[in-house]
Amino acid sequence: MQPKISLGIIFMLFTLLCTSQSDKTIAITLSPDLKENANAVIRHKALEIEIKAYNKMVVKEHRIVTVFNEYGMRNIGAYLSYDNTVNIKHISAIVYNALGQEIKSIKEKKFKDVSAVSGGTLFSDDRQKYLSYTPTNYPFTVEYTSEYVTSTTAFIPRWFPVEGYFVSTEYSSFKIVNNSAIVLNKKASYLDGYNINELSDFYYEAKNIKAIKKEAYAPSFSSFAPHLKFALQEFDMKGVKGQNSSWTAFGKWVDTDLNKDTEELPEDVISEVQNLTKTESSNLEKAKIVYKYMQDKTRYISVQVGIGGWKPMLASDVDRLSYGDCKALSNYTKALLKAVGVESYYTLIYGNRDIESFDIDFSSQQGNHAILTVPHQDDYVFLECTSQTTPFGYIANFTDDRDALIITPDGGKIVHTKVYKTEENSQKTKAIITVDQLGGLNATIKVNSKGTQYNRYSQLESKDQKGKQLYYKNRFDNINNLKVRSISIINDKENVILTENLELEASKYASKAGNMLLLTPNAFNKNTYIPPRYENRTLPFEVDRGFVDEDEYVFTLNQALSIDVMFEPVTISNKFGEYATTIEKIGDKKFKYKRKLIINKGKYSKDDYKTFRTFYSNITKHDKSKITLKK
Amino acid sequence: MNLKNIFLVTLLLTLNSVVAQDYKFGKVSKEELIEEINSVNQEAHATVLYKKHKVFFEFNQDDGFMLVNSYHERIKIYDKEGFEWATKRFSLYNYNNKSEKLTNLKAYTFTLENDGIKKTKLKKEGIFDEKNNKYWSTKTLTMPNVKEGCVIEFEYAIRSPFMKINDIVLQYDIPIKKLDVDVIIPEYFIYNKSINPRAVFNPELEDYSTKRSERITSKTRSKNLGFSAVKTNIESSDLNFNEKGFKVSMNNIPALKSEPFVQNVNIYRAKIIMEYAAYKGLDNLYKNYSTTWDVVTKTISNSSSFGGELEKNKYFEEDIDALISETDKPENKIVKIYNFVKTKVKHNNFIGLYSNEGVKRAYKEGVGNIAEINLILTAMLRYSGLNANPVILSTRDNGTPLYPNTEGFNYVISAIEDDTGNLILLDAANENSAINILPESAINWQGRIIRKNGSSDWISLNPKKISKEIVMLKYNINNMLEVEGKVSKQITDYLALDYRDKNNGLSEAEHLVKLQGEKDDLEILNLKVKNERDNNKPIVYSYDFKLNNNVDEIDGKLYIAPTLFLNYKENPFKQDIRVYPIDFIYPISRDYLINIDIPEGYIVESLPENVKFQFNVTGGSFSYLIYKTENTLQLKLNYKLNKTFILPSEYNQFKEFFSSIFEKQSEKIILIKT
Repeated sequence: MQPKISLGIIFMLFTLLCTSQSDKTIAITLSPDLKENANAVIRHKALEIEIKAYNKMVVKEHRIVTVFNEYGMRNIGAYLSYDNTVNIKHISAIVYNALGQEIKSIKEKKFKDVSAVSGGTLFSDDRQKYLSYTPTNYPFTVEYTSEYVTSTTAFIPRWFPVEGYFVSTEYSSFKIVNNSAIVLNKKASYLDGYNINELSDFYYEAKNIKAIKKEAYAPSFSSFAPHLKFALQEFDMKGVKGQNSSWTAFGKWVDTDLNKDTEELPEDVISEVQNLTKTESSNLEKAKIVYKYMQDKTRYISVQVGIGGWKPMLASDVDRLSYGDCKALSNYTKALLKAVGVESYYTLIYGNRDIESFDIDFSSQQGNHAILTVPHQDDYVFLECTSQTTPFGYIANFTDDRDALIITPDGGKIVHTKVYKTEENSQKTKAIITVDQLGGLNATIKVNSKGTQYNRYSQLESKDQKGKQLYYKNRFDNINNLKVRSISIINDKENVILTENLELEASKYASKAGNMLLLTPNAFNKNTYIPPRYENRTLPFEVDRGFVDEDEYVFTLNQALSIDVMFEPVTISNKFGEYATTIEKIGDKKFKYKRKLIINKGKYSKDDYKTFRTFYSNITKHDKSKITLKK
Repeated sequence: MNLKNIFLVTLLLTLNSVVAQDYKFGKVSKEELIEEINSVNQEAHATVLYKKHKVFFEFNQDDGFMLVNSYHERIKIYDKEGFEWATKRFSLYNYNNKSEKLTNLKAYTFTLENDGIKKTKLKKEGIFDEKNNKYWSTKTLTMPNVKEGCVIEFEYAIRSPFMKINDIVLQYDIPIKKLDVDVIIPEYFIYNKSINPRAVFNPELEDYSTKRSERITSKTRSKNLGFSAVKTNIESSDLNFNEKGFKVSMNNIPALKSEPFVQNVNIYRAKIIMEYAAYKGLDNLYKNYSTTWDVVTKTISNSSSFGGELEKNKYFEEDIDALISETDKPENKIVKIYNFVKTKVKHNNFIGLYSNEGVKRAYKEGVGNIAEINLILTAMLRYSGLNANPVILSTRDNGTPLYPNTEGFNYVISAIEDDTGNLILLDAANENSAINILPESAINWQGRIIRKNGSSDWISLNPKKISKEIVMLKYNINNMLEVEGKVSKQITDYLALDYRDKNNGLSEAEHLVKLQGEKDDLEILNLKVKNERDNNKPIVYSYDFKLNNNVDEIDGKLYIAPTLFLNYKENPFKQDIRVYPIDFIYPISRDYLINIDIPEGYIVESLPENVKFQFNVTGGSFSYLIYKTENTLQLKLNYKLNKTFILPSEYNQFKEFFSSIFEKQSEKIILIKT
């Protein structure tokens, strides 16, 4: 009797499996809740990882995704990135129509196999196998299964039960079986408020999570979306064994193992930089000279092969070839500084306009960029080494205001990079303007920009004369018939100030209204942007960087014109910032317009969004204020 | 030779060596390294000091002729912005185990160091091989020791087992000081050469011919009867043949630079296009690939992946029989079949002149490339009794074919001709296109219709029909100075295609955010859109709105620009000088009917003047007509652009025309309290 029973059980299991799966491949019966705001639904996702040793991990994925429209194509997720440390055991997919009937089965051979060199990188050994499918109808469903073994355990996949914006989740599970003796750390973030259960220590599942809409000014997705991350205390990174019991230990490993013996420089280079800096006594001045030496000598070239994606290339190679990526150039600069007796720390960080920090209480492989940190008095100076033009210590808009990991001889340490404060990020504009009989302008303008606003230099420097003219015509796009008569740009790198001197003219700037002319005094810094309106805002919002703009324009009118009506001063002040304008008659044909706008840095709740939007709307309104001129 | 002549020769030689640069590989001079700017184009970040490009066929007894492109380039890098020229990428094609190969690579960076010239060699560490996919691989190299002021020099050859000669590029994104091109081809291979007709800068070609001889040896082994050993006879003969070629020698070629309203500046690049036309074998076997349109038509018609595909009917007969009835009018048949193909076979984003997997398979799987989809369409239309033929064309970014050849074409559509010669153009591959509405990328001047009877002709692809936008705007101003009103719009033809391309598929919430824009404090309610997916009908939509900050109150008077948020926010034509034409592709007409309720307690103080502007007599027009009726103001605006192709010489006039429109629409109505 025994065999029969077990056969029966197998049969039952088989049918059970079948029904549950075919349910998941039918699109038309999906609940409306999951379809709301969703371009795709994760019907079923089961990711299972087995850690066999510090350098062996097996990853199995089974996912079923229903796609509703072309925007949902990116959520299919039927792809595997690999290099020579990854051994793909299995990869296949089945496509179902809306009714759940199979329309296509795709085996490994039919997956596209392509190199995956990302933009900005010259060469890397990353490759990808992906499903290329042209849908004939929406909705459709893709069932994807894959299995691979990898020796690299430094990057254990993270779990995002909500995978991104505009995608909902019917079911998602994540399980790690640790069969090695190594301690596996985990960190769960923002799980509260979602239907997520911890079934056992490393086993979670999530059910029925609605799609999240993307909204302007929202914080970065990973700073509010539920997720889990993992790290082994002992790991393998492309063939190099690593330690990670704390940030200190991890940093120590980077310093003494990973980056070991990469800092040697040829003797003549050492004596060259020593010679260049010998008259300077302060470390900061020495560092400035070395930084400039590095900038003049090198260029950014990104080559990422094997461990080279994580370990800097030899400083002596950078010196010989005169190029390198962020790791190589930071490490090279570090070696040069060492040669002149200045201490500095190799630094791992997230480089992005959006602010993304290292997780201070979860040591693991993080970051996508490397910079260099020079201790200075009780503070630090941060050096971006991949640019040939950035001023010394300037990191605005890319690596500012975030937690990063500095690698010191005592191990890793989390530090916060320079914050560009609201008042530092200034733009001061002064203009002397004459208005002709027909309302045309003739203006001499001087714009001084600092802090985050100094950044404009990089845009301007690469342009030729024609390109610069077009740039100003676009910047002052509120002025029709604009002619740029002269442009002079002074980039003071030492003090990090950008000065733009312009001479502009525009015929018929003032618009006609009967026998009057209407003139908008704010000619050169008109805000026209209003954040989008949302019926129901769902996400909190933030302003990453504050700034201050001050404008002062003196107008002189042609003899044939006279001032008719001017407007009242305006002052608005709230937690988002301040706005003030005045207009003052300073002579018969002369008046002065002043404007000050402060936007504060800040994090706000979704309920504040409406007032934030109104603030911008009011700025736009007052920036359009006109005065009337009599002919 | 007498003394006088010797003297003259020596003098000439000396003069030459004084004036001329040394263009031998490796002979980079100190002067070249010291030079700080390009004196002709002072803004250049880098300059090609010298480029030599040779195209020839190498002979090898085993493999026969092999195409070789050999290059020598010397590039000066003036500043950091020019560093990108120290990196080079080569795309190499693989097909059927045959592949293009990069060979004989030598490269050096020359720098000035302590008054001496330093030479740094490119080594393996700076060369990278990437296998992109089944057909393509990339070789990338980046030079060592690159600094401002350095000169880099490359020498390499690309050997190809294929007959295709890539376009011979004569213009870069940086200036070229001196360029030598030499193309020499054995008489067996006949290529048509043409110069890119759109290029602003064009070369002079100097034709020449020469004789060539290759030795062919053959071994025959003969065995005599009896006991003597095997004997090997080596026979050799000379293969004598003619070669035809041409040379180009140019100096100071300006850089190619893009401009606003130029989608792809490459179509203006100076280059020579080589098309393989015929093979003339030793035994006088002549294989014609093109050369006359009759030959091209025949080649295509006989090709199994073009003409062959058109002859297949079986796979769809049943479906079409069910779809179409004998009594259907031709226009009904067209609509039915066109819509049927669109829903049945989806485009896999591959374009090309020929079918890839075949029409039957595309039909079965519901996915096909451009040729498959439109050949299926053509075959079905023919099957239903319509005079349908394929039209081959070159997409906008693919250049302009002028000569009888198939190589310049990369796209297929379908055309129905009636007895009077009227044409209906169809492309069933594009989601949002419609009958007589092609995707913009396919509208590239002209296409070649390939008829069933073997004839072919150029047909114009340029749309003649005016695409229209008709807008009704009705609003009032409340006592908070907010504007409340209603907009209804109708958009036809290409403007509707443009609308569908930009908006179809957006959720309602996203659509609202987009319509409300970022520049006005506008709130939109009750948005209704009709015919979004019914491409043969105009888009019709309407909404209610509320608008803040658009009425200025100054000293008790109200100032209003009557077109509100519908006006141009800025004049898009900002350049002072234009190098390339602007192509609007299709003629348009925009009509605005604006109805404004005068708020209670106000009367009109002044209205903008009524005007009419014209561009280039009939090229375009703008009219502005405003009048008052009792308690309302009515404004009729009409903007027409008939001339779709604006030449650089007409640009200033066009810019002024547009600027006048912009100015006019910013003029204000003044209302005053009673």
